Formats: sequence, C-alpha cells, structure tokens
Amino acid sequence: MAEHIITFENNKPPVTVATGTLLAEAIQQATVSLNQPCGGQGRCGRCAVRVTDGTVRSRSTLRLSAEDVAAGYVLACQAVVESDAAISIPPQEKIERLLTTDLVSAEVEVPAGYDPHKVQNVRRVTLTLPPPTMDDQTDDWNRLLTALRQQADFGTVQASLDQIQGLGGVLREGDWRVTATLDAERWDCPGCPARLIDLKPGHTPVETPLWGIAVDIGTTTVTLWLVDLLTGKVLAQVAEYNGQITRGEDVISRVIYAGKNNGAAELRDLVLTTINALLETACKRVQAQPCDVVKAVVSGNSVMMHLLLNIRADSIRLSPFVTAINDIPTLTGREVGFNTHPAATVDCLPGVASYVGADITAGVLSSGLIDTEAVTLFIDMGTNGETVLGNRDWLVTCACSAGPAFEGGGVLDGMRATKGAIEEVWINGATFEPTFRVIGGVKPRGLCGSALIALLAEMALTGVMDKGGHINTHRDHPRIRDGEHGPEYVVAWANETAHNRDIVITNVDIDNLIRAKAAIYAGFSVLAERVGVPLEMAEQVLIGGSFGKYINVEKAVEIGLLPDMPWENFHFLGNTSVRGAYLALLDREARARVKASAARMTYIELSADNIFYDAFTSALFLPHTDLSRFPSVQAAVVS
Amino acid sequence: MAVEIPKDSWAGSVRVVTLGATPADGGTRSHTIMIGGQNTLPFMHFEKSTPHRPVIAVEIKDRRPEDWSGLLLEIWGDAANDPATWAKQAEVASADLLVLALTLTAADGSPTTPSMAVGAVKAALAATKLPLIVLGPGQADADNELLVPVAEATKGERLALGLCEDKNYRTIVAAAMANDHCVVARTPMDVNLAKQLNILIHDMGLPLDRIVMDPTTGALGYGIEYGYSVMERLRLAALQGDAMTQLPMMVTPGFEAWKTKESKFGQDVPETWGKWEERAINWETLTAMTLVESGADVVVLRHPESVRRVHQAITDLMTVPETV
Repeated sequence: MAEHIITFENNKPPVTVATGTLLAEAIQQATVSLNQPCGGQGRCGRCAVRVTDGTVRSRSTLRLSAEDVAAGYVLACQAVVESDAAISIPPQEKIERLLTTDLVSAEVEVPAGYDPHKVQNVRRVTLTLPPPTMDDQTDDWNRLLTALRQQADFGTVQASLDQIQGLGGVLREGDWRVTATLDAERWDCPGCPARLIDLKPGHTPVETPLWGIAVDIGTTTVTLWLVDLLTGKVLAQVAEYNGQITRGEDVISRVIYAGKNNGAAELRDLVLTTINALLETACKRVQAQPCDVVKAVVSGNSVMMHLLLNIRADSIRLSPFVTAINDIPTLTGREVGFNTHPAATVDCLPGVASYVGADITAGVLSSGLIDTEAVTLFIDMGTNGETVLGNRDWLVTCACSAGPAFEGGGVLDGMRATKGAIEEVWINGATFEPTFRVIGGVKPRGLCGSALIALLAEMALTGVMDKGGHINTHRDHPRIRDGEHGPEYVVAWANETAHNRDIVITNVDIDNLIRAKAAIYAGFSVLAERVGVPLEMAEQVLIGGSFGKYINVEKAVEIGLLPDMPWENFHFLGNTSVRGAYLALLDREARARVKASAARMTYIELSADNIFYDAFTSALFLPHTDLSRFPSVQAAVVS
Repeated sequence: MAVEIPKDSWAGSVRVVTLGATPADGGTRSHTIMIGGQNTLPFMHFEKSTPHRPVIAVEIKDRRPEDWSGLLLEIWGDAANDPATWAKQAEVASADLLVLALTLTAADGSPTTPSMAVGAVKAALAATKLPLIVLGPGQADADNELLVPVAEATKGERLALGLCEDKNYRTIVAAAMANDHCVVARTPMDVNLAKQLNILIHDMGLPLDRIVMDPTTGALGYGIEYGYSVMERLRLAALQGDAMTQLPMMVTPGFEAWKTKESKFGQDVPETWGKWEERAINWETLTAMTLVESGADVVVLRHPESVRRVHQAITDLMTVPETV
C-alpha cells in the first residue's frame, strides 16, 4: 500500500502513513494534541484542521461553512489521507469561531446617530442665576424658572415640595450657579409642564455621565444595564436571580402567593431588593451613586410588573385573564421603591395581555421584528415562553409557561450563565466521557442553559439516555449511577469542581428540561398552525432569552427546542427585553414604537382548547414524537 | 340504478405480528397466530378484506387469584388452582391464545421466584399448543427478575412478554431480542405516549413486527370512550402512514370489566341491576366488543361465557355480506 508523508506547519516531525489512514490518527502519531470531544464522530467540529498542500478525502464537513471548506478546512476525524499533505492545526479558539452553529448574542451598540438633545426626554442643564439684590427681590423659585426659560428654553416646570424645601439652600450653596435635571416630556401627558428631577449646587462638568437604567424583570432572572444617557453607552451590565423565586418558580404560583396574607408586599420587597442590589453593584463598577440615576425604564411580563408595583394580580390568573393595567403611567423612583434618585422618572413599558407583557413588546422592538418585511418567528425562551410570529404588517403572539429550566432553575446543578458555569458539553460516544467548557476558564460550579441544551442532545445521541429522557442505568459506567434523586449522569467529578462536589444532571432535571422545551416548541408550532402559516414559511427565527451569551443551534434543534431549519436562519439576540428597555430609555420615539407595537399584536390564547396539550405531549420526546418534523436530526442519528 | 359506495383508500397498513412458533420455527406450538395486517378500518369489508381476524386471549394466573370475582373462581373451579389445568380449560373454552399473568407473591406471601415463574410458564406451554403471552406482576423489579428467566427458558417459542412501560422496557426488550420473543408495550391512553414507547423499543433494535401495543383502556362506563378514541386515532395514524403506530393492539377488557362494582358485587345492589352473573358477563362482553370495533387485535378476557359471545360476535362481523 502506498505511503504518504504528512508534514506539519508547527515544525513537528513529519509522519509517514498508509493511504486511507484517518487524518486524526496521522496527527496523533505526530504527537500533536488534537481535541476530539465527540470521540471522532464528526459531530463537534473541534478537530478542524487546514490542509495547505496535498489532498485528503473528506467524508463529512458538517459544521464547517462552505468558505472554510474552500479554504482547505477539513475535520481530521472525517478525513482520509490520499497523498502527501501539509497540515496546519489552528489554535482552539480559532476553531470555535469557525463553527457555524454556535451563535453568540450580538454586542450592544449605541443606536446610530444617537443625539440626546433630540430624542432624550431627560435633560441636564447648567444655569447661572443673577443673585437677588434689593432691586431684584424675585423669589428663589421664579428666579430659577426664569433661568430655565432663558438659558434652557423650559416653559413651565413642576417641582415637589421637598425640592422647593431644598431650593434656597442649593442656590446659595452653589453661589447661584446650579445644575438642574428635568424630565422635559412625558409620553402619558403631552404638553404637561417639565418636571424637575434634581437640582445640584455648582456646574456639573458636561462630560459627567447622566445616569439611566434599563431593567428587565424576568420571572427567573433580573437584568439591569447602567447607561450614560448623554452618550448612550451601556457602562455596566448586571444580572441576578429574581429574589421572588423562593416564593414560586412561575408566574402563576407567584400570583397565588401574592394573594396570600401579606404575600404581595413581600414579593414586592423581594424584587426591589434584587433590583436595588443590582443597581448598587452596577454603580460601584463605574464609581457612580445609585441616587445619581435619574431615569429608569422597566420591562418584564405583566405579572412581574404588577408585583413590582404591588398591583393586584389575581385577575391575571383567573378566566377571563385580564390585567389590572397594561399601560402604566410614568412614576418616580420613590413611588416604585428604587434606590435611584427619588424623583427619577420610572417608565414601565406597556404589555399586550395577561401573558404577553412588556418583555415581549420590548423584544419586538429590539429584535427588529417590527421593521422587517420577512415573515419572522421570534421566540423568547424565558420562564414564560412567549412567541411572536409576523412581520412589520402583522403580528400574532402567544405565551406558554416553560418554567425556569433553561435559566438553570429547577435543575439540581443549574446556575446562571456567569463565571464558573459550564456552557458547553460534548460526550464521547465511545467512552461516555464528557468534555466541557467553563465560562471564565475556571473550575466549574454548575450548568447554565446552553450546557443543559447540549447535555440533553449529547446524552440522547450517545445513548446515555433514551429519547424519552430516561437515563440508561443498564450501562455499566461510573458516570451513570443512581443518586439521591434517581438516575443521574456525572458531568464533572468533585475533584474537578470549584465546590468539591460532583456536578450531575439527574433524571428529574431532564424531565424538567424536556417539559420546558416541549412547551416552547408546542407554543410556536401551535401559533403557526393557528395562523395558517407553516413553520417553514418563516424566513428567519430570532431567539431571545437570558440563559447565556451563546446557544448552539444544532443542539437546540437536536433536542427539538427549535424547529428543524437551516442553521443560518437562526439569530440569537440575547436578552431582547432589556435591549428593548434600553432603546426606550434612550429614545422617546422608540418608547412610542413599543406602545404602537403592543397595539398591533393579536394575542392567541393557547388554553382555549386541547390543541396545545396535544402538541405539548407529542413534543415530550427527543426531538419529537413526529420524527418527520426533524428530518436533519433523523439523518444524523441514522448516520 | 346501482348505488356506489364511496371507498377510502389508505396509504399505510398495520404490520403483521406472529405469535407462537411451530417446531419448524424452533417452537412447540401446533399453530401460530397472526394479528394485524389491516389496511382499512375494522370490518370495512367493502373497502379491503381483513387479513387476520381479531383474536381472544384468555387470562390465566400462575396461582389461584384470590382477589378475582367469586363468579370467575366459581366458573373455573379447581382449574384455577393450577396453570396447566387452567390452560387446558381455556383451550376448551375456545381461546385463540393464552395470557399467563404472573402473581407478585406465592400463596404464603413470599415473593414469586424465577423458578416458580418458569415452572408455571412451562406447564402452560406443555398443557396446550396455543401461543402464549406472559405478563409480569406489574412491578418493574419483579417483572425484570421473572421475565428474563422465562424468556430464556422458552427461547424460540415466540411468546409475547410484557408489560413494557416507558420507565421499564429495556430489560424485557433485551430478553425478547435475545430469545426470539415479542413484547407488549403498554402506555396510559395517549397516542403520543404509545408512539414514543414504540420508538424507544424499536431504537433498541427490536423489529417493529415483534411489538404489540397495549394503549390501555377502561371498562364500559369507566372511561371506555377515551380508550376507544385513542385506539381509533392510533389506527387512523397507522393507516395514514405513520410507521410508529402501525402495530397491532392488545387490550385487557376482562381485567377492566371485572374490577367495576357492577361486575364485582352481587349483593347490596339495586334490584333493577338484574342478575349478577348475566350483568357481569354483559359488562365484559360489551367492553370487549366496543374495543374490537375500535381496532383491537387481541382482547384479553376472563369469563368463558364472554369468550363464547365475543367469539361469535367477531365471527359475525367477519362474515362478508354477499352484496359486497
């Protein structure tokens, strides 16, 4: 048999191998380390190498783009040596960027041409007042109003009693030089006088940021962005579990809890504690004070909004499912209970219905769905999984309770996508040994949403569990064992973890995850069916969610969470709710568009008949009971 | 003018499952039973002929079932004390095949051992030449412990072993695969769950023509409408070409009917209920016939008179009218 010489770019000694040798074996002979987390089955794409000279025969280039293939990239585990060849092995990070199925959420960009003078309703102005004299005995307030009119073009201005109480002191302390922050225009009161938010002695330098916050109150995760309203830049992003979780994992149990003795007040306190702690953390990062924040825009589902404001939410739970209010008037920091400036403007974004709240209207804005001509499916993979289908001409929406599993809730070793979370897992199909990647490159503490999606897919593909989600305890393997919560698979041994405990995924976790993915899949598939638009007609799928910075679309399709479509149709947008709140925070026009989009959405109630339930039970399987819906997965399993 | 009857034509058909094996195929049965094969709804003779008629399995136990209705124990008499005699009596009662349901414990309360289970199965096989279905006691651990040795001791007989359920199917399926048997896959009255279990079992490598599904049913007045609808939808899916539902169905109307209060009790019931025995037999017969109409391929019965009546009714239904 013919022998061929394989040379390497990095000065490793060349090796001689026979025709038909797997390229991966040739590389290993050269004692070059090569990552093969999936066990050389051509599934993970981590062994991509570039053939710079000579030819190899490639069986599969799954996970490589056409461009990469044209540039000579092959999967070493799927390529067979046929001639002398020169091989270049790229560094691992570079390979990860090559992979076509890993979608990382887009960076936040300040909207192009952002000009606070044109689109920001909260303004800060420096004023120099003529001191009073015996000839000019105008009162302090009118002196300020005159300056505001003459120097900053404010007509009439409103102030609260405590501001007036402090007025004289501030004016004199600043020696008649002051900085005023005002809310010039309220969406719910056009033509109303501007409202004084803050008056400080002296002239604040123009480059000092004017702080605002965008807040998304998720059922499971609360996200807060600290923004300089002058530049539009997001200067800190923080997130934490919603403190209300201990009082119920989904919106319904929260509403029930709120109906109990003092429950509503307790839930309000819990979420305020979470938000105010996040505010403090964010401010510390940029050496700001929470009380310097003069504007807040809040997004979240209707229940979260009601509970934040301690508005009775019972009617959301009971037929005919109405909210107390969808469109909340502008409030102040003090009224809401934020540790921002007490007079800060707090704007809660509008929702559509009981189960389609501001998080979705904000998402529709930030995802661009409201502007696109293409028929688009927008899936918010939150605890309350909402879906919107449509384009700039029509929008239909529905909601289904998916539970917190993809945000790490209700999962034994689940955690948010922060430092120490395993975010990606591969299982070797021959040895059942996992390979994982941890956020921050540290020892792992738990599993975040993207890892849970990957685990489900990998366990099913490798036979660690069956398609019904039952761990195969018949396999004699140390990682598959009976734990305290029933059968489980060990992802990381105690000696590899930060807390010296095994990180496992249990059958109970798997059941929760399968229920969550089934609810989401059933939600959008029934929605499409109701509208009479086949899923394949959707030209793009936009994914929102706060389960991490990244999602592996291939894995999400393999478990039947996302529909089986070409990977390039998917776009992962991260937390679309907080992004929408951020846009509304900057731009009153954007705020108006959120309201307009809310008015245009048609809400479809899934609980009206049993079609949803049927769709749900048929989705309680990996990927789906109806295999014909997932032709690519079936093909992968067969191969 | 002749009236033309509209006829449906279906893309799919139900797979044929063969139960029992003759000496030529490595077993000891005098004949095999084939079930399934339909490519139209039950008894629509004017559309397609029915290749295999629905069959009746008579349920017997490995020991006297003290929890059974007094009417059943009385009619079977001493035969119920011994699986071999009972099997023979069931054959006399014109059973097409037998279901031997193993009991969790022996008469003295100790757990049924594998050798006891194997003994009972072998005795039933030796006593008649009918194909046999063996069901475990219904607890995962006990089922696995008893059915594996039974499968091994009867290799080649092409029994049907059950019940496979979504949380416990691997051991039974592996035993059936290794010893040339079939399995019965039971799911709780849901089309999707039935389909899912079929996929899981098939994923292990057992060919689809060795799986019988038991979609679970309820007795007349106890949820039979739901069971009927699930079976009808399973059959419609099969005929429409859904491969994972194209399996014959077995249901247990005897078990269901005999646990209703109407069948169980003869005393302290309203007089208008009529004669106890007649009522109980009617209950079992009507439950069974309803399920046969919905597409059941095997009905498992307990009372010999019900067997006689259902047998007659199936024969009538299978008679193709001359006008067709």
